[in-house]
Amino acid sequence: MKRIEVTNLTIHSSEGVIINNLSLSVSENESLTILGETGSGKSLLALAILGNLPPMLTVSGSVKVDGKEMLEMPASEAASLWGTTLVMLPQEPWRALSPLMKIKHQIAEVFRYVKRATPATASEDTHQLLAKVGLEQHAQKVPAQLSGGMAQRTAIACSAATGADIVLADEPTKGLDTARKDDIIALLKARKTKGCLLTITHDVQVAKALGGKTLVMQRGVVVESGDAEKICSQPDSAYARALINAAPENWPLREKSATTFSPLITVKNLTLTRGNQTLLEQVSLEIGAGEVVGLYGDSGSGKSSLADALLGLLPVSGEILFHQPLARHEKLKLYQDPPSAFCEEATLRTLLHDIIKLHKLSPPPLDKLALELGLSPGLLDRTATEVSGGELQRIALLRAMLLKPKFLVADEPTSRLDPITAEKVTRLLATKARAMNCTLLFISHDIHQLNNICDRVMDITSL
Amino acid sequence: MKRILLNRLLQAILMMWSVGTLTFILVRLLPGDMAYKIAAGRYGDDAVSTAAANAVSAELGLDKPAFQQYLHWLWDLLSLDLGNSLVSGAPIIVELQNQLSFTLVLAGCAIVVAALIAFPLGMFCGVKADSGWDRASLTMSTFVRSQPVFCLGLLLIFLFAMELKWFPVAGYGGVPYAILPVLTLAISLAAVSSRVVRNSTRTAVKSAWFEFSRIKGLSSRRAFVRHALPNILLPALAFMGIQLIGLIEGVIMIESLFAWPGIGHGLSHAVFARDIPMLQGTALVMGFLFVLINALVDVSYYLLDPRQQEVQS
Amino acid sequence: MTFFAKLSTQQRTGAVILGCLALFAVAEMLLFSIDGNQQFLAQAFASPDWQAPLGRDQFGRNMFARLAGGLRISFTLSLICVVTSALLGVLAGVAAAWRGGWFDNLLNFFANTILALPGLVLILVFAAVVPGSFVMIYLAISLVIWVEYFRLVRAIALNQVASPALQSSMLMGFGKFYLFRRHIWPALKADVFSLAAFGAATSVVAMSSVGFVYVGLKPPTPELGLMIVELFPYYHEAPWLLLEPISLLFLIVLGFHLLAGKSR
Repeated sequence: MKRIEVTNLTIHSSEGVIINNLSLSVSENESLTILGETGSGKSLLALAILGNLPPMLTVSGSVKVDGKEMLEMPASEAASLWGTTLVMLPQEPWRALSPLMKIKHQIAEVFRYVKRATPATASEDTHQLLAKVGLEQHAQKVPAQLSGGMAQRTAIACSAATGADIVLADEPTKGLDTARKDDIIALLKARKTKGCLLTITHDVQVAKALGGKTLVMQRGVVVESGDAEKICSQPDSAYARALINAAPENWPLREKSATTFSPLITVKNLTLTRGNQTLLEQVSLEIGAGEVVGLYGDSGSGKSSLADALLGLLPVSGEILFHQPLARHEKLKLYQDPPSAFCEEATLRTLLHDIIKLHKLSPPPLDKLALELGLSPGLLDRTATEVSGGELQRIALLRAMLLKPKFLVADEPTSRLDPITAEKVTRLLATKARAMNCTLLFISHDIHQLNNICDRVMDITSL
Repeated sequence: MKRILLNRLLQAILMMWSVGTLTFILVRLLPGDMAYKIAAGRYGDDAVSTAAANAVSAELGLDKPAFQQYLHWLWDLLSLDLGNSLVSGAPIIVELQNQLSFTLVLAGCAIVVAALIAFPLGMFCGVKADSGWDRASLTMSTFVRSQPVFCLGLLLIFLFAMELKWFPVAGYGGVPYAILPVLTLAISLAAVSSRVVRNSTRTAVKSAWFEFSRIKGLSSRRAFVRHALPNILLPALAFMGIQLIGLIEGVIMIESLFAWPGIGHGLSHAVFARDIPMLQGTALVMGFLFVLINALVDVSYYLLDPRQQEVQS
Repeated sequence: MTFFAKLSTQQRTGAVILGCLALFAVAEMLLFSIDGNQQFLAQAFASPDWQAPLGRDQFGRNMFARLAGGLRISFTLSLICVVTSALLGVLAGVAAAWRGGWFDNLLNFFANTILALPGLVLILVFAAVVPGSFVMIYLAISLVIWVEYFRLVRAIALNQVASPALQSSMLMGFGKFYLFRRHIWPALKADVFSLAAFGAATSVVAMSSVGFVYVGLKPPTPELGLMIVELFPYYHEAPWLLLEPISLLFLIVLGFHLLAGKSR
């Protein structure tokens, strides 16, 4: 019997159709991955299977779990399936764990209250489970003290504790570093031995690693389905192809240019501390004029702090030497979260004009520049909150370009963007920097992205 | 934790200094005939003379150079020599001790009653957010908050003491006298804290972690008790620090309205009669209570919030 | 007009209530200017008539005039207290957040000194220094509201100063005034307004509380709190008299609370 069976599911909201006539099924011992970008309605599908759809939506079709119809089921009956038959891994685990409770208690309570074990058994089982996910040393911590990866492993432990064999995983690797993603994928695969797994993700790498049946969704419609291996190497539909190609590891390799660069910045014996922690100790490096340099490292490794130090934003001990004197406005930065880098109230055009007035530039053709970056000029008349992340990051690039910088730091500029947009922005950044003969320091935790566009990649741990 | 206690200690010292300095300025500004009036108040209009007024003046040290007086004043303060009341002649310390027990009874009972009203009401409205009950509670709360606390007291007096004649109007002498003052103060506190509890409850119940605790399989009641409740109680505790201001100000007004012989009553009468030593004494006690309870709240919050201890280490 | 349009329904209700009260207060002064202190003992507790639409008190004084006078006092006091505290508070808060260092520490020290006592205690002690003085009460209330402004503005400004947006503009070469105008002030606007309305309510309540215990403005000044305590003994003879200042006090505080917007 099929464990999950979705037939002709259609979900409308007041703004339009979110899921359009979707049908899928997952049998015992099967794994299904749904691949698609944000806005494709994937998360709502998971909620529909749980029987926990928000009100105010128009739903038609059928969603059956072990033969029971979930769409019409009263809330209390659906809730009785949670933790016994079904369980869902949350999308943002650091927000899905109770802030004041130690993680070992959050796992133990599943054993005690859902599985009705005695306190002693519950404690023993919790200990074993924590060891299995590699968290024994962190048992006494509260969620605020965990990293993103640790929080996700805790959530996985909680769901494993339930013993429910239908597992729904909604974007299980969102926001995690590349290295952490592998850990999570391994844990998910280890569960597959019984029950079934339904994973929702926008990350091609994850889909490929999990294997099994895969559906590609675009704006609520299935555009392709088949085996993971085949879709990831030889996709049929245009959308799937775009998605696959957007993953940095699939980008065409760049020929390394043989140019040597005269040094722009020389750093000697730099030491950086924040509070009581020493982030960087006795670091020395050189950055060439006009070079595109990648800086690779995990979260918290000090990459952003190093860049801030080079920009003169952080006090450090050691020597930072600029071989050409650069004005304040010739050293600029692009930020990880585009909306937080703009004033929210004024229109973008006004902000750009502020810059033009300040530096008494001859008014550049803003609309033409926007078009060159793939943006429609009308966007400039909106405010920062009315524009998407990818568009805003390109406007940030336009803004920086107005000042003709000689040194530009891009601090994880594409981490918050969807894969296809991320690729566009990354390429634009590298192209424009080279065209302006501007030195670009590109910071990222994705080594493939860096290898592809940079002349040279530095690993922060080896500095 | 040491830092918390040190901060509060510093605040207590600052408070003592500012109260001491302000009352000293008061003393210096005392016009001549005021000393006369105080002497008249003490000895009676007939028995008073210039000599008596001068004696009062000397008692307050008004004849010495300013800076020397100031130091002397602060020294007295530090050694807790608070002098005698200019109105009754009794030592301030004794008067304060008598008044303190009344104030502690009023404040203590009011806090308990306020909690008994605010928590169940707030949690109920939080769970049933935006329902008719919630809106009614918001309206009531806005109505109560838009009055000075003494107006609320007056309304309760009209209703219960004058119309229904259930309770006495004012004064002290047994439990019935305490009911209206405690009730007034409790209602004014609960009007605000019930909304705070309501907001925390609503945030908790709508949060991702509450949803996950249910998806893990916990029943809704167990999820509420184990997960939501701590996250409601802890912010409420933090809010206590802010409510303290309302508590102390409320105590002053309520004690004055109901002639409840506590520290607040002593303070307002001291201001009216310009009984400066008494004014200083009562202001100091109020200040100490304020800093002390704030310190207790800080320490409890520190001990109960596991996140704080991480930050400290 | 556009300002009025931006307010929520709740805020508009508050504005309308306050507008009506202010209109009453000002109209009485401009159109009638009856002396609210003149006594007509023969007409004590007179019922409302054309001359005195709201009746007369225990000394035969015209309640219509007295209440308008009381409202004028409340509005004037709240206006000047809030304007003083807001200006100085925003200035101090932004300066402390931006400069940091010893300047920040000094202002914090000053603020903590004021915060060491609950507001009413501070106001009562100030009121005792020069009894019946409007200036002393104004100073004390302004200090209490200033502290609220300082702490709030400093917290918001600190947040903004550390923000990527401000850092980005700074890198691009913009000066302090631009940074304030584009990044700090927009974040402050709503809270400054809300705090102004709360501050106004606080001043009115503080003034009337101090009047209620006979240590505020002296009789025969028609201050609302003072009127309440004076009329209290006559509750049985003329209950409507006591309800008049109580209702006005309620309305003015309610108006300010509603104007402040969503509760913090």
